[in-house]
Order: sequence, then C-alpha cells, then structure tokens
Amino acid sequence: MSNDQKLLEVEDLTVAFGDGPGSVRAVENVSLSVEAGEIYALVGESGCGKSTLAYSMLQIVPPPGRIAGGAVRFRDRDLTSMSKRELNTLRGAELAMVFQGAMNAFNPVLTIGTQVDHILQAHPEAFDDPKEGRDYFRHLLDLVQLPPDRIWKSYESQLSGGMKQRVAIAVALLLKPAVVILDEPTTALDVLNQRLVIDILKDLHRTLGVTIVFVTHDLAVVAELATRVAVMYAGRLVESGTVDEIFKADRRHPYVEALINAIPSVLDAGLKVRPIGGSVPNLAELPAGCRFAPRCRLAEDHCHEVEPPLLGDAQGHLVACHVVNRHAELVEVSGA
Amino acid sequence: MRNLTHTYATGSGRPVLYDVSLDTEEGEILALVGESGCGKTTLGRLVAGLHQPSQGSIVFDGTDITDLRGGKRREWRRQVQMVHQDPYGSLNPGLTIGSTLAPGMLRHKLATWRNVQQKMIKLLQQVGLDATPAFLQRYPHQLSGGQRQRVSIARAISLQPRLIVADEVTSMLDVSMRVAILDLLLSFQRELGIGYVFISHDFGVVRYFAQGGRIAVMFFGHVVEEGPVEQVITTPKHPYTHMLLQAIPVPDPVLVRKRDEADDAPKRMTGEPATKGCVFANRCPLVQDRCRKEAPPLTQVGDRHRTACFYSDEVPPLQHLTEHAA
Repeated sequence: MSNDQKLLEVEDLTVAFGDGPGSVRAVENVSLSVEAGEIYALVGESGCGKSTLAYSMLQIVPPPGRIAGGAVRFRDRDLTSMSKRELNTLRGAELAMVFQGAMNAFNPVLTIGTQVDHILQAHPEAFDDPKEGRDYFRHLLDLVQLPPDRIWKSYESQLSGGMKQRVAIAVALLLKPAVVILDEPTTALDVLNQRLVIDILKDLHRTLGVTIVFVTHDLAVVAELATRVAVMYAGRLVESGTVDEIFKADRRHPYVEALINAIPSVLDAGLKVRPIGGSVPNLAELPAGCRFAPRCRLAEDHCHEVEPPLLGDAQGHLVACHVVNRHAELVEVSGA
Repeated sequence: MRNLTHTYATGSGRPVLYDVSLDTEEGEILALVGESGCGKTTLGRLVAGLHQPSQGSIVFDGTDITDLRGGKRREWRRQVQMVHQDPYGSLNPGLTIGSTLAPGMLRHKLATWRNVQQKMIKLLQQVGLDATPAFLQRYPHQLSGGQRQRVSIARAISLQPRLIVADEVTSMLDVSMRVAILDLLLSFQRELGIGYVFISHDFGVVRYFAQGGRIAVMFFGHVVEEGPVEQVITTPKHPYTHMLLQAIPVPDPVLVRKRDEADDAPKRMTGEPATKGCVFANRCPLVQDRCRKEAPPLTQVGDRHRTACFYSDEVPPLQHLTEHAA
C-alpha cells in the first residue's frame, strides 16, 4: 500500500432526505479524499451533515435519506453503484464503523465472546480457522488496554462506558479493515477515558496502519488526533486542510474560529470564549448567499447574496469564505 | 453553609463518599471535579437534600439540615435547588412549561394564583426564552435541548434559592450553546447573589465558570485536593489533579506535539482505588512505600489550598499549560 494512494474518495456528493419540493440536502456537493494512513476528522455542530457524510461512506444512510448525486469510491470502486452483496463483503472487512454511543451497540444477553464468534462465522473468509480469529481479537483487546480473558466472558452490562467504547473499537478492527470510521468516539466519556481513547486510536493507527476517519464536534480532540480535517456547515464543506492549516489563524473560516472560541479551554481563563449566536439553519429554509453569514461576525452585504466558492492555496488548504479569501492567491477547486 | 461532612454507604457496603468535609460561602462557586463514579454527583445530591447522608451532617447557614422537619425543612429545600445534567430526563413530559414552573412558586407562597402567570413570564424572560403566554402552553418535547435546560434553570431560580447545585449542566448540549448557558448561570450569581455547587469533569468549563471560586477534586469518594480555581489548575498539588489536567485535549496541534515530546511516560489512567493507605496509590506515578501504609490527610499547602498527598512538592508543573500562558 503506497502512502499517497487515494483510499476513500467522496466526489461531488449530495445526500437528500425526501423527494420533491419538500426534500432537504443534508450533504451538498461535498468532495474530499482520504489517503491511506491518514487520520481524517469530519467536524461541525449537530445537524451540519457530518454524520450523514460518514454514513454515506458505508452506504448506510438511513431512509428516507438517499445519495442524490456524486460518488463515493473505495480503491477506485464506486460504492454508489455496487450491489448489496458487494457492499456486504466490503463492510466490516474493508470499511468498518464504530457508531456514536457504541457502548449501546452490544447484545445484552450474549457475552462479548459469543458476539465475536458470530462475526467470525459470518465472515469465514477472514481467517484460516476460527481460533486464529479469536486470538487476533485477544490481541486487539490487548492493544485497547483491556484484559482479554475477562472481556471475552463478560456481558455488556458488566463493562463501564469507557470499556465498552474500547471493546467496540476492537470489534470494528476484527476483520482487519483498511478504514475504520468512528462517529463521535470521545463524546459522553469523562476526561481520562477520552484521553485513553485518543491515545489508543493513535497507537492502533501506528501499529496496525489502519486509516481512521472520525466525526466530532470537539476541536480539541481534532488537534490531538487528526492529520487532516474537513469542516462542514449546513451540509457544505467550508474548510479542509491539514490539522496545522486548520488551527493556523491566518486564513481560517470564521465558523472554525467560532467553534474554537465556543469551547472554554483549560489553557486560559476564558477571555476569548464566546458562544456562537443563533443556530445551524433549517436545511429547508437556507439563507441566501453564505449559509454561515447570519451568524458570522465578518459577514458583509455580499455574503448575504452570493454563496462563496471553495478556494484552495498551493498546499490544497480549502476555505469557502469571501472575506478570508479576499487577499490570498487562490484557485477554485473543480468539483467542490 | 459550613462543614459538610458525610459518609454515605450503598447496598454493596462500599461507601461512595468517605468522610468528605467541604465548605462554601454564600454566593461562592464551588466546583466538584473528578472522573465518572468519583462521587461528585452523589455529593451534589446530598447537598440538595435528595438523599440523607448515612453518616455526618450538612450544615446550611448554621443549621444542621438532617434535623430539620416540617416548615423549616420546606424552607431549606426552597433555598437549595438543583439543575440536572439531562434536559430531556429532568422535565416531566406530560406537563406544560407553565405546569412545570407554577407549583413550586405556589407551594412556597412566592406567587398567588392571580400573579403566577405574570411571574412565570418574567422568569422566561430572565432565562432568555420566548416570554409569552403561548410558550407556557408548550410541552418539553416541543423544545430544543438548550431551551429545556433554560426551563430547568427557570424552575430552579423561581424559588429564589441561595444555592444551586448544577450537575454537568452543559455536557449534553451542543457546543455552540454551552457558553450561553454558563453565562446565564453566572449572571444570576452576579445579580441575585446565588452560589453554585458546580459539578463537571471538564476543567475547561470549570476554569471558565468558577473564576474566583474554588475547586474540590474527588477520587473515588475522597476529596484529594481543594483550593482556589486558578491555583489548583496552574499549580496542582496532587498527582491525580495533575493527571486529569494533563489528560485534557488541547485545541492546539503545536502544543499537543510539545506536550507529547516532553511527557511520553506511560500513565495508568485506569485502575481500582487502593483499599489501604492512599486511595490513589494504584495509579500514582509518584507512589512510595509510605503511601501503601498510611492514608495522607488533607493538609494545608497554601492559602486555602489543601491536598492529600505526602509528596505534593514533587507534583510537576503543567509545562504545556504554563508555556501557553507565557
């Protein structure tokens, strides 16, 4: 696997909920590509389309949602035109997902071991014999810093929230997928469990070489974990780049700045902290022009009329903002 | 409020709180910090009178509240209110906002049938909600999480309390709303002199909310460090406080790399509490033989700053936090 291979590509993707005039677009014309070996963060508030985008990477957008345009490619194969059977062999084995609230994803009346055996039975191609699969799962439990014997015999109710999250991560990695997608992996955990999950994901990325895509609203977790970042707002991609580009203040989307300043940080006594006024617009009643303009402190008249294009610099750092892009030498990104 | 001391035992026999003594002044903010299961919520619920302590006592304004009965107890219950973590679970789904707010005020004779509507509308205005009679007719399911939390806050302040126990009030809210809710609570401290017992595992939120107040760090039912907010966060004197602060995700990738280069020693972030000696000994990076035999008492290490560690001088400064400040 060469390091610059485009592993997972989203091209001009639109995900619509419903049909006809009442339909809304939770994801609209979004393009991004995840390269092998990256840790890619999808960031935004609730309702900005980040989870829907993550689901579309596995073709599991819940109805009435549907892919209304564009493509999702894994190793140059388009998932949107695959049969159910083809998708099923891909899911879990190549593309795995850890859902939000994964701690509630287990069957309460079966031990973790039994549930892992079921996965191994459903995917007999993954290992030469079931014993090998079981041993690999024990190895994964080691990597997520849990005692294999105890976990194997445990029921879900015997584990704490933080432990369940780590078991869910181990289960997702069981079939050695190339990509694991995690929806809000640190939300609802206390600070020590958050740190543990962050450290474990970094460690798994290093030792197993697995590519990680994760969804979060917490920019501190992004700074800790991600190598590349895409920020969504009201269904649109508003900024993407390396983690350093996103946190550098010189050319940053005002929404990203607002998100950083909305969270009181332990780094200072909160002098810069201020809430983001208003809320994410209802997708059925989007404002004209830039979707963030009604909440933006930099907004000008022009912003309320014309939607800003996503423009990139030579390094590929993309920002969709009239004001921030005004003085930079930039090129429009095709298909974005 | 002086000298809250209580030991509280569950059915399993293992106490959730061990001999905790804390005090807070009128109008002051006391933040309770610690990991899930450290007893901070239990302590908050004891303060709010939702449980009876199995041992020890809670003294509010000079009176031991465990002995209060009848009208005196009712009067104390009015003065200490609670705002819960989950805005979805803490409002009765079958009651309109009006039916949620009115009974408390009527019961405590803070409103009459004649003026209760008017008072409720004023409350809605105070908490930044749509101050109309129509809003009082709405049900919780018609409101967003942020709006519900504002209703919970309105319910708490409607009884003109002197102390509010706020239990993780922002953790279930969307990021964009959190600061607004904290600011709202702070405005009541400023304008009405309400004090808070503020429960959170998030030091960022605590540093913002409890500026000028105090922090008590709890570990499995023990207060291990207690002191002024800024002092505890910038110069922690207990290895557990240090561990918590070091664990916090930092919104700055450059700082993250610096911290990880400076400190790559493996840490024991999980592990059962020790039953003998210092409760933190099983996880402590500074642990010595003495810690396995004797439990360190809370000892003064600075102005109103106490820690329960024999080797508090060896707790290293938080390099990445102090460098950022400089």
